[in-house]
Amino acid sequence: MITLLRKACAFVQRDFRIESGYKASFFMTIFQSMSLLVFFYFLGKLITPRNSAALSGFGGRYFPFAIIGLAFARYFDLTLKMFSESIRSAQVTGCLEAMLSTQTGCVSVVLMSSLYALISGAVQLLVILVAGVLAFGVDLSRMNVPATLLVLVLSIAIFVAFGVLSAATVVWLKRGDPITWILGGFSGVLGGAYFPIDVMPAWMQKVSLVIPITYSLDALRLTMLKGYSVILVAKPVAILVAIAVILMPASIALFAAAVRNGRKEGTLMQY
Amino acid sequence: MNCPVSVCQSTEQPIISVRDVTMAFPIAKRYRELLLHPFRPRRVKTALAGASLRVQRGDRIAIMGPNGAGKTTLLKLIGGLLLPTEGDIVVNGFSTLVQNSAARKSVGFVLNEERSFFWRLTAVQNLEFFGALDNLWGVDLRDRIRELIHLVGLEEADEQLFSTYSSGMKQRLALARGLIAEPEVLILDEPTRALDPIACDELTELIMSRIHNGSRKTLLIATHRLEEAMKLCNKVAIVDKGRLKAFDCIADLTADGITLAQYYRRSLAMEKHDYVVA
Repeated sequence: MITLLRKACAFVQRDFRIESGYKASFFMTIFQSMSLLVFFYFLGKLITPRNSAALSGFGGRYFPFAIIGLAFARYFDLTLKMFSESIRSAQVTGCLEAMLSTQTGCVSVVLMSSLYALISGAVQLLVILVAGVLAFGVDLSRMNVPATLLVLVLSIAIFVAFGVLSAATVVWLKRGDPITWILGGFSGVLGGAYFPIDVMPAWMQKVSLVIPITYSLDALRLTMLKGYSVILVAKPVAILVAIAVILMPASIALFAAAVRNGRKEGTLMQY
Repeated sequence: MNCPVSVCQSTEQPIISVRDVTMAFPIAKRYRELLLHPFRPRRVKTALAGASLRVQRGDRIAIMGPNGAGKTTLLKLIGGLLLPTEGDIVVNGFSTLVQNSAARKSVGFVLNEERSFFWRLTAVQNLEFFGALDNLWGVDLRDRIRELIHLVGLEEADEQLFSTYSSGMKQRLALARGLIAEPEVLILDEPTRALDPIACDELTELIMSRIHNGSRKTLLIATHRLEEAMKLCNKVAIVDKGRLKAFDCIADLTADGITLAQYYRRSLAMEKHDYVVA
């Protein structure tokens, strides 16, 4: 365990050292998030509690609803893409072979290669939420912190699992990653990131029920805006637990199989 | 000329045992093939066929052969980066197929790919990262890096970004990285390929004087340079068209009055894999 932690630190330190050479990129991302906040803030001024019954379950105001959707949907999207991007980048730069010739396994290399992106994304998420509270007056005073953290951890686990599956498809197919395409492309819209799913047609609502982000955002909004406890969000939490329990080991097993197959066919370093 | 030759033979347990190894790479189907014969198995390109080799501890083996002969494939198989389609490779008692990570522990790989480093990190930072992946940290890692930087003669440039390094310096750093975990087997894949004659001589000299001297490290070096093979190695293996065509002790060849160049040409001229490999 200590060995893994030390290796994880080495990956984070490596990426921090590399990224610190691209400071403008970090600030540009923050600036982009801020401009989106301003956009949703003014959009929220058009939507009042009176003309949107669908928002009543989340406190009635659009902007707090949207800021949680925006911040977390972006974070989950990053979690989904970071593994496939890190393995592809390592393949393209030629570092993958060098890392795999060390005493660290391929699964560990890929999982730990994405840690920095996970941390950096969490910082961006926090910046959005803090800016929302301080600059735009979003009220998170009722937030149930333990319940929020539980939902967040479960959601990250699920998106990490999807991310690992996506990395497996990159190892297998090289280009064309259906998992990121399906989940990344439709989650934001069908998962209710920017508007409540109640406003969608019935058939779209049914589709949204099979997308994990629907349950994540639903539970996060309820715990953050209305202070719901774990018991009150038991249904989405149970669904998230079930998905995580199935998906985590399955994704790692599939990724390990893809790597082994890549080693057998000599395609692991190809891109 | 063919092994087994008395000098080559040893009763000692080999550190590397390659047993009848075949490596076949599947070829991706073209659109036409995919449409007409979707279920037909993919065609394969056999990079290595039925190769067998026993490497004794402390052997220094030059793997020679034309471009595309299968030298790098053989080295990657021994290094555990590839898994054989058929046959088995045992490194220090561990099968690369079954106990891949245990087998890899004994092997240090010096890749000739300069892109395999992080260009925006310094030499020391690169070694810190790869050292951590090889389970080294703290004072041990720092000491090891200092020792290796000294060994490869990069003291003056250890805090420079890798991107500022010359090809010779990059190759020296690759050597340091390959040695970081003190492996028993060091694999060098054409270490002097991109180097000018002076840098090439310097690197060969470095391997001779600082790595060979007094150590029983086993070296496997893929090279096209006969002079390098003569200087660095005690045995030579010739690979051609995916077949291991010959494996002999250089000293025996010299005793028989055969130059390495003659041996190389003769081995390539032979069509069949009619050697018994030591």
